Amino acid sequence: MTRKKTLLMAALAAAALIVIYLFLVNHAPIKLRRLALTGVMLGCIYGLIALGYSLIYKASGLMSFVQGDIMTIGAFLGLTFFTFFRGLFGTGEEGESNVGTFILSVLLTTAFAFLFGILLEKGTIRKLLNKNVMAIYVVLATIAISYIIQNGAQIIWGGIPLPVPSVFTVLFVQVIGVRIQPEMVLCVILSAGCMIMLHFFMTRTRMGTSLRAAAMDAKAAEACGIDVSLSTGLTWGMAAGLAAIAGILVGPIYGVYTMLGANIGRKGFSAAVIGGYGNMYGAMLGGIILGLAETFVAGYASSTLKNLIAYILLIAFLFIKPTGIFNERAIQDV
Amino acid sequence: MAPLLEVKNLHYYYGNIHSVKGIDLYVDEGEIVTLIGANGAGKTTTLQTISGLTSPRGVRGEILFKGKPIQRLRGNRVVGLGLMQVLEGRHIFAKLSVEENLLTGAYLRKDAAGIREDLGEVYALFPRLLERRAQLGGTLSGGEQQMLAIGRALINKPRMMLLDEPSLGLAPLIIKEIFIAIKKINSEGTTVLFVEQNSKIALATASRGYVLQTGEVVMHNTCENLLNNEDVKKAYLGM
Repeated sequence: MTRKKTLLMAALAAAALIVIYLFLVNHAPIKLRRLALTGVMLGCIYGLIALGYSLIYKASGLMSFVQGDIMTIGAFLGLTFFTFFRGLFGTGEEGESNVGTFILSVLLTTAFAFLFGILLEKGTIRKLLNKNVMAIYVVLATIAISYIIQNGAQIIWGGIPLPVPSVFTVLFVQVIGVRIQPEMVLCVILSAGCMIMLHFFMTRTRMGTSLRAAAMDAKAAEACGIDVSLSTGLTWGMAAGLAAIAGILVGPIYGVYTMLGANIGRKGFSAAVIGGYGNMYGAMLGGIILGLAETFVAGYASSTLKNLIAYILLIAFLFIKPTGIFNERAIQDV
Repeated sequence: MAPLLEVKNLHYYYGNIHSVKGIDLYVDEGEIVTLIGANGAGKTTTLQTISGLTSPRGVRGEILFKGKPIQRLRGNRVVGLGLMQVLEGRHIFAKLSVEENLLTGAYLRKDAAGIREDLGEVYALFPRLLERRAQLGGTLSGGEQQMLAIGRALINKPRMMLLDEPSLGLAPLIIKEIFIAIKKINSEGTTVLFVEQNSKIALATASRGYVLQTGEVVMHNTCENLLNNEDVKKAYLGM
């Protein structure tokens, strides 16, 4: 039954996408099309960040403020790897294709972030929880770590935004009649790929199912033989990996700077609430909705309002529908 | 022959609260044994301490399983030794399907074919779970959840199964069904130790029993003798 439901939802989503696509191609003015594309791209980034919040909340019942800063680290690390490999494998000529080196950088950065996430959980969060401190102190600790990373990044990479060399040889591609950066297309494809892979990992593999089980009921999971402490660490690692991917993907589009993740990370939190805090699919959908809302506000109202809309939506959802679109009950029954 | 499970002078402290005060008990291979007693007698703490599910900091004394001390092991390690617990209140994974719940119980097993086979056996024991295999665990009735919790432990082929209050919150007919299943599991070779507030059915099911009172064993005998004991009759059977 649950499988049927998933299939039905996937079919509905696909149908909706086709309708939207046809509408955009045949009837929408060019500005609307451009905004829709940018919105989806930005939404994918928010979605990746929001996914991390949701995973962490499910596994530990906590909110981690480090999520956005891991994105910053991912962006800088990605740039560093990318530059290094380009020097190593490339000819250095103008306009050469760097797709291979970029993918390699994405993989390496993700691996580093994954380890960082595990260390973060094992080295600080778990240590604090073992001292039986209240959850709020752990959350405060993540705020401290967040600022340490922001300032640390500033020391290492400096305060000036760094440009990222282009990945593709072409400067533009045509999508539904709009010329956009090919890096934006890559961003959407890779984010969507991550989300789909995460879905299959969490629902179709033993490992993923055990992670979900550990997040649902730690004691029962332990009684089944699952190493809950390891599961929690892996989940934090995955959240960090997703954030780093978001960072390295936006690098070529927005450039890389120390506050990159802090800004996007906060909005990703809002996306997670819109979708239903703690729900994987909600995080993705919430991200896309927020991305579209932001770009449309910027395009049709004013770009100064753009940065407010995420927080207005956040407050609105908290008041009207705190369980979000996917009706996820974030507040546990006591 | 040494017993399969031996608990020697077990104490448990929840911070300053001394909730288990020097319990000794043993269970031989193939036996079915019960712990009875009132609310707060320390039954659940004893069981969870044996399974490694309580904080190891609070544990004093010795727990031997297959002759090996396990009191310092974490719960998931104890499962690996072949000792599985069916938790009080079922603890079903609400958003996993019935089948996913069962397969999670086989988490430590690597033999896919064997797991399939034992999944079939669980379904044979509890046909209702087969009917509901694709349903989410949280949508089951209390009785079905108890069956699922037992099935989830059984699929791991434990040498010994601990059950905590299997009758909790269930209708009399379902309780009967559950205890028939427990006896069947025992008769097929799994050693069983269970905690039960419903002393009548506990003493009718088990072969030996321990009576716990405020963290201590106050009586230990065969169930037959316990059923005929005047104190037990008065305090636990309401006669």
